[in-house]
Amino acid sequence: MSKANKGAVRPKLEQEGFFGRLSYFFSRAVANLRQNVFVSAVTVGTIALALLIASLFLLVYVNLDGMAQGWSDKVQVTAYFDQEPAPLAVAALKGRVQALPGTAKVIFVSQAEAEKRLRSRLKGQESLLEGITQEVLPASFEIRLDREHRDNESVAAYVRKLKQIQGISEVQYGEEWVQRFNSFMNLFRLMGGLLGAFLTITVLFIVSNTIKLTIYARKEELELLGLVGATRFFIKAPFLIEGVLQGAAGAVISLLALLACYYTFLKNAGDFLGINPASAGLSFLPATHLAGVVAGGILLGFIGSATSLKRFINV
Amino acid sequence: MIQMHNVFMSYQPESSALADINLKIPKGDFVFLTGQSGAGKSTLLKLVYADLIPTRGQVLIDGVNLTRLSRSQIPQLRRSIGVVFQDYKLLPNRTVLENVAITLEVLGWGKRDIGKKVFHILKRMGLEDKVNATPLRLSGGEQQRVALARALVNDPKILVADEPTGNLDDENKEAILQIFKEANNRGTTVVVATHDRRVIENSHRTVIRLDKGRIVEVPNVQG
Repeated sequence: MSKANKGAVRPKLEQEGFFGRLSYFFSRAVANLRQNVFVSAVTVGTIALALLIASLFLLVYVNLDGMAQGWSDKVQVTAYFDQEPAPLAVAALKGRVQALPGTAKVIFVSQAEAEKRLRSRLKGQESLLEGITQEVLPASFEIRLDREHRDNESVAAYVRKLKQIQGISEVQYGEEWVQRFNSFMNLFRLMGGLLGAFLTITVLFIVSNTIKLTIYARKEELELLGLVGATRFFIKAPFLIEGVLQGAAGAVISLLALLACYYTFLKNAGDFLGINPASAGLSFLPATHLAGVVAGGILLGFIGSATSLKRFINV
Repeated sequence: MIQMHNVFMSYQPESSALADINLKIPKGDFVFLTGQSGAGKSTLLKLVYADLIPTRGQVLIDGVNLTRLSRSQIPQLRRSIGVVFQDYKLLPNRTVLENVAITLEVLGWGKRDIGKKVFHILKRMGLEDKVNATPLRLSGGEQQRVALARALVNDPKILVADEPTGNLDDENKEAILQIFKEANNRGTTVVVATHDRRVIENSHRTVIRLDKGRIVEVPNVQG
């Protein structure tokens, strides 16, 4: 009864300290992945598939958005003058227009330039130009707006301000086209957002349920660890690292699959579908988006594991 | 020392698994807990390692009241108690060595020390040639010994075993009891739940008999 019993006291604490513990948890996580190959493969496969679908959607969305942004370059405002201003006045007026918020670029088109353009446009039909002198054609500013100012309200507000500048008699900007284009863009973004949100929820649901099932399959291990005196953190850490590794692996596999899909089918799909004959097919996701997919995978694995573990740890 | 004062335990409101349990098991003692199936043996053991909290009453281990332990204090308690579960609870994907090592990993031991200590105890259990086998490749007796090795590897203050000889032949039973005796000789308090009368009769140890959740016979130990 009085015998010393010091067994429960630790003789050495090699695993203690932040890095010691981390290396233990990491090696435990890797060993767990190795010992549960099938279950781990199912999780990685599910994450990869889910992220592949999401990143395919992202690829198409980014390309369509880029294309639509290209079209918006056509939003141009033309301000006509009553009389051609003197060269010095042109510089002053240009400065005033450039100072308006939303102005990207201003080009002055003199009466002589306007006539030249008209002549070149009507080449071969010069008879139509008989009697037309450059005084008939007004001088103008051709103004390109920056991307943030190409929607209906911004263009209308811009035009109102433009009209207040002395000497400008008329402003044209293809009102109907701008309205139609912007309605299309709004619808496109709304649909994209809805589809994206729907896809995100689906991916979250599928991945979290898969992880839940894989953790459920190992609930005895969780229970036993608790019964031999492991703390919650000790039990959870390797599982969370496993989740992160599985998420990262799933994301990398999904991107490799996306790359394969891209080179096999999508690269030339733009030409094939005639969406944008000017461009050389669809472009691949930019680096920031690729990093986003990998971060998404890691986050999925981590959050999926963390929420599932909550249910099965009783310590 | 294990103490229970007026302990009641109910899984459902209308029926109680344990009723008015009072007992004191002194440090270093070796006690058998016996009774029919459903008498409350496993429930009583679970109260000792805080897998269950009593519905009423107090459970004290070395003066620490388990009903007042916070969730974060429970792991500390369990590290000083070795448990041999009725179903062994061996992890099928891990080797014998890894199964036993869990107890020491939880304590934060270094890899090399774990290796030495685990090999030493497996040798004592006669399992030194099964170190890298997985539990499913072992016989019932061998699995039981692995479970025992896991419970004893850190020389716990208390060893609790639930029907440890249940499915074993006489030779294996004797071997397991011998291991309990050795642990007890090293100072570990041993509580073994069993309904095997022969095991109890041959041991000449204190017996606590349970019937329908109540203690009916406690020679020398009831306080």
